[in-house]
Amino acid sequence: MTIFPFKAMRYTRIFFLTFFMLLAGSGAWAQNLTDLIIGEVLVENTAGLTDGYGQRTGWIELFNTSNGTVNFGGCYLSDDKSDLKKYHIPTSDRSTRLGPRQSVVFYASGNASQGTYYTNFTLRNGSTLYLVSNDGRTVIDQVEIPSDLPADCSVVRVPFGVKEMDFETNVSRRPTPGSYNGDVDAKTKSQVMKEKDPHGWVLTLISILVVFTALIILAFIFGWIGNANKRLQSGQPKAPKAKKVKAGDITPEVAAAISMALSQEFGSEVYAAIALALDDYMGGGIHDQESLMITIKPTKGSTWADKAQNFRQLPR
Amino acid sequence: MNTILESLKQFWYFTGFANATWQNIAMILIGVLFITIAIKKGWEPLLLVPIGFGMIIGNIPMFPGLNIGVYEDGSVLNTLYQGVKQGWYPPLIFLGIGAMTDFSALISQPRLLLIGAAAQTGIFGAYLLALLLGFDPNQAGAIGIIGGADGPTAIFLSSKLAPDLMGAIAVSAYSYMALVPVIQRPIMLALTTKKERLIRMPAPRQVSQKEKIIFPVVGFLLTAFIVPSGLPLLGMLFFGNLLKESGVTRRLAETARGPLIDVVTTLIGLTVGASTQADKFLTGNSLKIFLLGLLSFVIATTVGVLFVKFWNLFLKGDRKINPLIGNAGVSAVPDSARVSEIVGREFDPDNHLLMHAMGPNVAGVIGSAVAAGILLGFLG
Repeated sequence: MTIFPFKAMRYTRIFFLTFFMLLAGSGAWAQNLTDLIIGEVLVENTAGLTDGYGQRTGWIELFNTSNGTVNFGGCYLSDDKSDLKKYHIPTSDRSTRLGPRQSVVFYASGNASQGTYYTNFTLRNGSTLYLVSNDGRTVIDQVEIPSDLPADCSVVRVPFGVKEMDFETNVSRRPTPGSYNGDVDAKTKSQVMKEKDPHGWVLTLISILVVFTALIILAFIFGWIGNANKRLQSGQPKAPKAKKVKAGDITPEVAAAISMALSQEFGSEVYAAIALALDDYMGGGIHDQESLMITIKPTKGSTWADKAQNFRQLPR
Repeated sequence: MNTILESLKQFWYFTGFANATWQNIAMILIGVLFITIAIKKGWEPLLLVPIGFGMIIGNIPMFPGLNIGVYEDGSVLNTLYQGVKQGWYPPLIFLGIGAMTDFSALISQPRLLLIGAAAQTGIFGAYLLALLLGFDPNQAGAIGIIGGADGPTAIFLSSKLAPDLMGAIAVSAYSYMALVPVIQRPIMLALTTKKERLIRMPAPRQVSQKEKIIFPVVGFLLTAFIVPSGLPLLGMLFFGNLLKESGVTRRLAETARGPLIDVVTTLIGLTVGASTQADKFLTGNSLKIFLLGLLSFVIATTVGVLFVKFWNLFLKGDRKINPLIGNAGVSAVPDSARVSEIVGREFDPDNHLLMHAMGPNVAGVIGSAVAAGILLGFLG
């Protein structure tokens, strides 16, 4: 008889352990490498960005679409589907952490010995560029470079939509290596509101409407739950009908008011005295599940002098 | 001898006396005033004592570059201040508030939620007035939230919308919360008749433990789906309440409403106080913020009371609501509910409004967090 619960417990543990491991793994994946995209690519660079060696080469911009930091060390860049591990981004470089909505530029110089940000291949029109995960197999993103891409023009992924999490691919005559590909002059929400709603009436009306809607729905739901609860309880034996309250009666409302007024004036230690007095007045044996209320439970015999009551619960 | 004199001279330059300005002295005096009010009058001592002492700390005149000031990167005060600046103290306080709040009064009379919603008008009234005074919408939103009468929410929202105004907004919010009895009572008396003040409300029904457990889950899902930007505050508030009500996480609930909230309250008060350095705090804008903060409390109380009076036009018999609980819609828990009780008993010593007022009072906490989420969504 005892084997079954033991086994069940073991299975439960295995289930939860597996669940948490999967959760942890999926979270890491979801928040990391898949958030990277190839933001911009330029093949023939005659008048633009120069690299750290003063040379003009093609370049590849990676963009972190998420609002968290992504470490792209260990990923691969390639222009060959049959060799996805063509250029391995070093894992030993601390600078491979890309901040939220930030971008980084790789120079396609063809000479990886120049540094972390120099690929061992050069770019060519008509090819496809791959960004590959650190497993060397999973393609995170790819961009097809048009065969007729003019010199000093880039293939650029421009964010659009309310969330700016969708991207459309365009050809741009004004490359923006290392900087945001969207509208850099975009106004802040506050500026937009200042233009659209200078006196604030629209925001005020919408906000009050939303606050009321949220709380009205909550009120309806709890009104309904309360009624359902009453109906459920109606099948059970009825509680004795409450007596009509007269002036000076000690009702729960009065008790709460006295307790709060006194605690404000004298401090929390008076709770005990109030509770004892009320308990005595109301016939003893008041029990409440509230954790902030004093609970007086009638017990068999006194435990006042019990040794266990006097032990410290935690070593200090 | 010259060396000694030179060294003494150099030492003098490092002292507070050499670097003091009248603004520093003024802020130190305000800090002392806060501490005095807290100790003598007992108004919000848990907040005003740390804030007052923080003001004194933040305004000790000092030689810049010693890496000790609250605005100097890497200093101890700056490190503690990150909880305010990054906005992670307020949600922790909300966790504690959730773990200490009993929503029974609200669950038993869900209609009282509407009073909590009405009182949020103070936030948006102050927003409109702040725009009139020339503040940008994001600044106006941060100032408006003072009307929510909720210090952590005010700090959270101002840290996101207008960090440069946060010190003035936080001090204003906490000051007026301490003054709730002084501000609300005359408004309540002016707007109600003697007959209305004597309205007796029926005792709220008993709430089952099951309902108390369902409340934080449903409440969170609903409010967070409507206003996801309020997630940090709403999530922590309802999570804390679930810890309290679930019955199986007593230790966690006790930590959240005990040591955790005490530690965070101490740090938030001290660092908010320290952030009121004279050069950043004593500006014309701060004066405007204090004025707008006061008006937002007045609007919130007025609308809360008037809303109940208006509602009563449609209610009959013992369904009528005593308008003296209308003020409790601002979320200064439990001070505004206490004001309802005290004012109510002035006119009928046996009419206890406290339990009824706690309904709109905790609804105000939810309402102000929702309002903060809306403002953050629109202006953040």
